[in-house]
Amino acid sequence: MYDKTVRRRRAVLVALVALSLILLTAYFGESPNGRLHAVQRDFLTVVSPIQEGANAALKPVRNMFGWFGDALHAKSQRDALRKQNARLQAELIGREDDERGYHRLLQLYHLDGGLHISDYRPVTAGVTAQAPNIWYATIDIDKGTSAGVQVNDPVIDGEGLVGKVTQAASDGAQVSLITDSSVAVSAMINSTGAPGLVLPKVGDPNTLLMQYLPANTPVSVGEYVVTSGTISSRGPSLFPRGIAIGQVSSVSEEAPYKTVEMHPLANLHGLETVQVLTATQGSAPARTSSVAAALPLGQSSEPGGGSGESQLASTGSGG
Amino acid sequence: MGAGTPSASLVARVAALAVVMVFLQTGVISEVPVFGVAIDLSPLVVAFVGLQCGSVTGAATGFGIGLLVDLTLLQTLGLTSLIFTVIGYGAGRLRELRDPQAALTPLLVGAAAATASMVGYSLMEFMLGVDAPVSFELLRQIVVGVVLDTAVALPVWVLVRRWLEPTLPDDPRRRRRRAYTTGGLSPLSRT
Repeated sequence: MYDKTVRRRRAVLVALVALSLILLTAYFGESPNGRLHAVQRDFLTVVSPIQEGANAALKPVRNMFGWFGDALHAKSQRDALRKQNARLQAELIGREDDERGYHRLLQLYHLDGGLHISDYRPVTAGVTAQAPNIWYATIDIDKGTSAGVQVNDPVIDGEGLVGKVTQAASDGAQVSLITDSSVAVSAMINSTGAPGLVLPKVGDPNTLLMQYLPANTPVSVGEYVVTSGTISSRGPSLFPRGIAIGQVSSVSEEAPYKTVEMHPLANLHGLETVQVLTATQGSAPARTSSVAAALPLGQSSEPGGGSGESQLASTGSGG
Repeated sequence: MGAGTPSASLVARVAALAVVMVFLQTGVISEVPVFGVAIDLSPLVVAFVGLQCGSVTGAATGFGIGLLVDLTLLQTLGLTSLIFTVIGYGAGRLRELRDPQAALTPLLVGAAAATASMVGYSLMEFMLGVDAPVSFELLRQIVVGVVLDTAVALPVWVLVRRWLEPTLPDDPRRRRRRAYTTGGLSPLSRT
């Protein structure tokens, strides 16, 4: 009797571990269109409405916990924001005059054809789930392919870049946040246009690294980092230019490149609603991107020139 | 029903616990970070089911909850299942071999489960080839995560125990303890 119990117990353990390893190996080895990925997407389609309902029901609880957390940080945030507000007011006054001149020149030369976020067909989606561990910085949203959401679509919120769609089912999708280890974003320092690559600092969900900045680039703490827009010969990417990513918190010199640390501007832990930019083939952003991608090296329309093309094209998981 | 086979009502209760816990975790708790880290109830619940029901039920619950987490969050399928299966089995074996009754047992088991979960994830991610720089901050995140999970271990243990206890088969060891603490086997009660 004892032997039978022991054998049964060991058999269950071995079977479950073996099953996990088989799943792991098969999942890791197959393409994103494989059978197990499809099962996951189907599961998401089924549970998405349930998650949505549960989310709505549990919103007061989440708000209550959030309120406690916010209250703890409110005082330090208020002081920092007061200082920032004073600095920005002074900057604004100085730039208003520049902006008037800029618009006058645009009208004069008929150049006011720039792309805006609205050209990228934003789809508003609710966040239904968030990964709990530090290795997966992902969220699930309640809009999927039926709403025009596709894999690799950029995701933003009111404060800045959030991430990109990594899997899409019909009524839901998975978004990898910019702090996920699988995401890299081509970016630039907003004030100088110096290009670099934004990567997560693994293990620290509140910090991003901007790498491969030319060593002679002047960068100071407090500057903003924005997306530089991706142009890749591997295919048109619709990552818009100029979306805020983060604010520089420290700078380190690592010849021949400079690396800066920054805090993401979007509050990636408290996301409730996001926008997915769903511009598709044939849209104005897609046409612009494909024209730019067709340019030979060295003729990129991006600031930073040809080096940007080869660098950005190498960021397969980037945007 | 053979010896050690979980009853249908126990299976139903464990399944309900798993589903509610996963939705609560992904929908609420993960979105409220404390010191930059989200509390993770999943390893605690798996360990406490193992501690309450034994190694086979613990391992099966770990596999099920892991699979549910991976499916819900579109994570690498099988990764969480593997880690949680080991956690559930380990906690179950602790109960079967030692049957610890100290008040701090859930706290220690919770801390061990959280540590195993976080370290296990980290090791597996490195083995699967994370292509990103790793900082010392990772260690801080793991330590803070373990401390937070340990801090909520006792209330989670109480909830899991209360939820599962009505469906557990009567354990002679538990009956003996209850009888002793209520005076049933005390020499004083026989006079």
